[in-house]
Amino acid sequence: MARTFDRRTLLRAGLIATAAAANVPLLAACSDDSVPAAAGTESPSPRTGGTLRAAFAGGGAAETLNFLMGPTGLDYVRARCLHPPLGVLDPAAEHGVRYGVLDRIDISDDLRTYTLKVRPGVRFTDGSALTARDVIYSLAAPTTLGSLPFLKPPSRNFDLAKARVVDDLTLELPTLGPIADGRLILCQSTLVFKDGTKQFNADMPTAGPFRLTEFEPGQGAAFTRNDGYYSDVHLDGLELRAVADPTARANALTGGQVDFIHDIGPVSARTLEANPRFVVTAARLPYATSLSFGLNLAFKPFADVRVRQAVKHAVDRDAIVKTVFFGRAFVGNDLSSLGFADYAEEIEQRAYDPEKARALLDQAGVGRFTVAVTTAPEVAGMAETATVVVENLKAVGIDATLAQKPAGQLFADFPAYVKLPFAASYAPPVPPLSNYTSTRTAGSPSNFGFDRPDIDALVAQARAAADPARGREAAVRAQRLMWEDGNQLIPVFAPAISAHTPAVHGVRDEPFTTFERAFLAS
Amino acid sequence: MSLVLLIARRVAGAVSILVVLSALIFAATEVLPGDAAGVLAGGESSQADRDRLRQDLGLDAGLAHRYLTWATAAAHGDLGTGYVGHRDVAAVLADRLPNSLLLAVLAMAVAVPAAVAAGLAAGLRGGRRTDRMISTATLMAAAVPEFLVAAVLVAVFATGLGLVPEVSLVPLGSRPWRAPAVLVLPAAALAVTALAVAARLVRASVVDIASAPYVEAARLRGVTGTRLALRHVLPNAVGPAVQVVTVMFAGLIGGAVVVETLFNYPGVGYELQQAVANRDVPMVQGLALAMCTTTLVVLLLGDIVHVLLSPVLRGRS
Repeated sequence: MARTFDRRTLLRAGLIATAAAANVPLLAACSDDSVPAAAGTESPSPRTGGTLRAAFAGGGAAETLNFLMGPTGLDYVRARCLHPPLGVLDPAAEHGVRYGVLDRIDISDDLRTYTLKVRPGVRFTDGSALTARDVIYSLAAPTTLGSLPFLKPPSRNFDLAKARVVDDLTLELPTLGPIADGRLILCQSTLVFKDGTKQFNADMPTAGPFRLTEFEPGQGAAFTRNDGYYSDVHLDGLELRAVADPTARANALTGGQVDFIHDIGPVSARTLEANPRFVVTAARLPYATSLSFGLNLAFKPFADVRVRQAVKHAVDRDAIVKTVFFGRAFVGNDLSSLGFADYAEEIEQRAYDPEKARALLDQAGVGRFTVAVTTAPEVAGMAETATVVVENLKAVGIDATLAQKPAGQLFADFPAYVKLPFAASYAPPVPPLSNYTSTRTAGSPSNFGFDRPDIDALVAQARAAADPARGREAAVRAQRLMWEDGNQLIPVFAPAISAHTPAVHGVRDEPFTTFERAFLAS
Repeated sequence: MSLVLLIARRVAGAVSILVVLSALIFAATEVLPGDAAGVLAGGESSQADRDRLRQDLGLDAGLAHRYLTWATAAAHGDLGTGYVGHRDVAAVLADRLPNSLLLAVLAMAVAVPAAVAAGLAAGLRGGRRTDRMISTATLMAAAVPEFLVAAVLVAVFATGLGLVPEVSLVPLGSRPWRAPAVLVLPAAALAVTALAVAARLVRASVVDIASAPYVEAARLRGVTGTRLALRHVLPNAVGPAVQVVTVMFAGLIGGAVVVETLFNYPGVGYELQQAVANRDVPMVQGLALAMCTTTLVVLLLGDIVHVLLSPVLRGRS
């Protein structure tokens, strides 16, 4: 399992994006119904003015301005309004990142030192300049102040204690080992706030596109434009409202109480898209959540690679995309991070082949066995996908049963979870190699006993390769081994779906929703 | 037994029930799968991290010790701090409870007169067409779950007619009573179910009283219709009606969890649902205890009023 984000964060956040698809390598085909463009991809000229009202799932009184510990996606969306990012992942951009408060990141030839150049002229709302000291403080904050796991990749890959501030706009970061994908790690989720910040409150100086004017946990937040932001912001104001129930979110949109709603699920999307008053949007790759199943090698039948392959051939991925997601999803090929540059699109799509599955089971000689597929409705379509998988397994002679837990309970007892024989999971869109290092190397509880030092070595080799071609070669070899022998079934990648009025443009998801470039057309 | 002693006994009984309820709430949150330390530390955390956090949170102490610590603090008004967001539970409660009480009072303001009227009309015409119609309608309404009632109300009055907002989005920095429109649908959803149940209870009470000798005597003297209902039946049904009202009110507090969530209404029920979803144990314990306490207080007050209004019980005291 690759679960870097806190599960609640992802559940609440959902993940869609507007990443341009042109340069995104696609292996797994989207379904016959193409996923519509995300908000603003066919925008009229930006117009300044207006207040956009958006609704997200939220998290009740637990919501906080301290996004490092914020339990919900809305906490990070709100923080993204207040604090600028180092950069954002953008497969269409050079090196896969589009810079925010950074001008660029230079990497030493030995891949052991990263030099971050800060964009000049970026200022906090108190008038002070944003410097390299603020950057290193923000990078270290997840460790020094505490944070959710998804914010910690920089500290797992860089020796932040040995960082050196060269001058106000230059920061040198030594790595913990030679890595070529450090830009992706640094720009994955880091937001920048002022050096020395201990408390996150409404009065703190910020440097993001908006200024906070009102915040009520569980209710919402209101913002006005930060005129001192380093880039143009079109909206005069922004309101982010917390509406926990997805049906209530849809009702708020249809009733005109909000202009934009996030994470509505495929069924509501179908209803809303039939209404010409609204536009339904979904992400393009790579910003889609992978829905996966871990096959536990401690469960005897799954110790045989032929049984694992049989399970993968038994699952009808196209049927899942069509029946569960009404076409708003991408077929998976049992490899994570579909759409990212390191994803091995060279590997052929695994076919739905029940006959082959039966033959592999016969060869393995495991006989008829019973297995419970454990899942929960943690994200839209997750439980329904498991239902299809169970039926598919039955069709090839495996006595599969569905064990569905209530929402929020699947990972509640993590030690018990990693002992399940056939466990559902989901993962956010993050680059594959650094994520593998964090969560799936030998000994990690998330890998369900699939300890493969040879794959670990290949991944390390790919990440440390100075020559991109050699790095790519090692990455593909590692992924081929995972594809052939691995214990992860990843049948589908599901983008979260949003809806809005036709006036809304420029809302981006990178992968969390950002309103920096949003505007309301007249 | 003096009236004061009777009331004191009822209060003592309520306190005993509250102690039992607090133990049940604590036990219920204990048997949930996983532990708070595991949730807070994250799935990828090490056993050492979880153990350290468990120690920091005091979760390594025995069950009885933890319960006593929690219950003692709660008795002094300290409901603790939520794990998620580190919010003071009492502060959350103080912020949200008035909103929930407002909703319950509004629902009562609609449901009580309607329930009394419907119960009287049905009870005084026991077995006849009016009684059958009211009884069938209230039976159906009582059987429909609150979320379905809410959905129908939204479809008709918000989406269909556009009279009220679909979702209770209270303006930021404001309170629900400053935006009365957001109260209409959640209060109505709560009132419908409460009304149906209460009308049936009032009807049963009225049927009993309507067949009492003194009512028969009044009828024989030629007293009928509204005069019979208001002067002879209703006053004697007040005692049971008070209990009905208190039970209704208690039911509204429980029903608020569903309705507040559906309408996104910022009350205790909504926060409780969020806390459960976040596995925020102190918040769940504190809010659940507060809801139980509120229910018990309401029932206790109803009980006391019933004693004061009932000549029989007053005589016994």
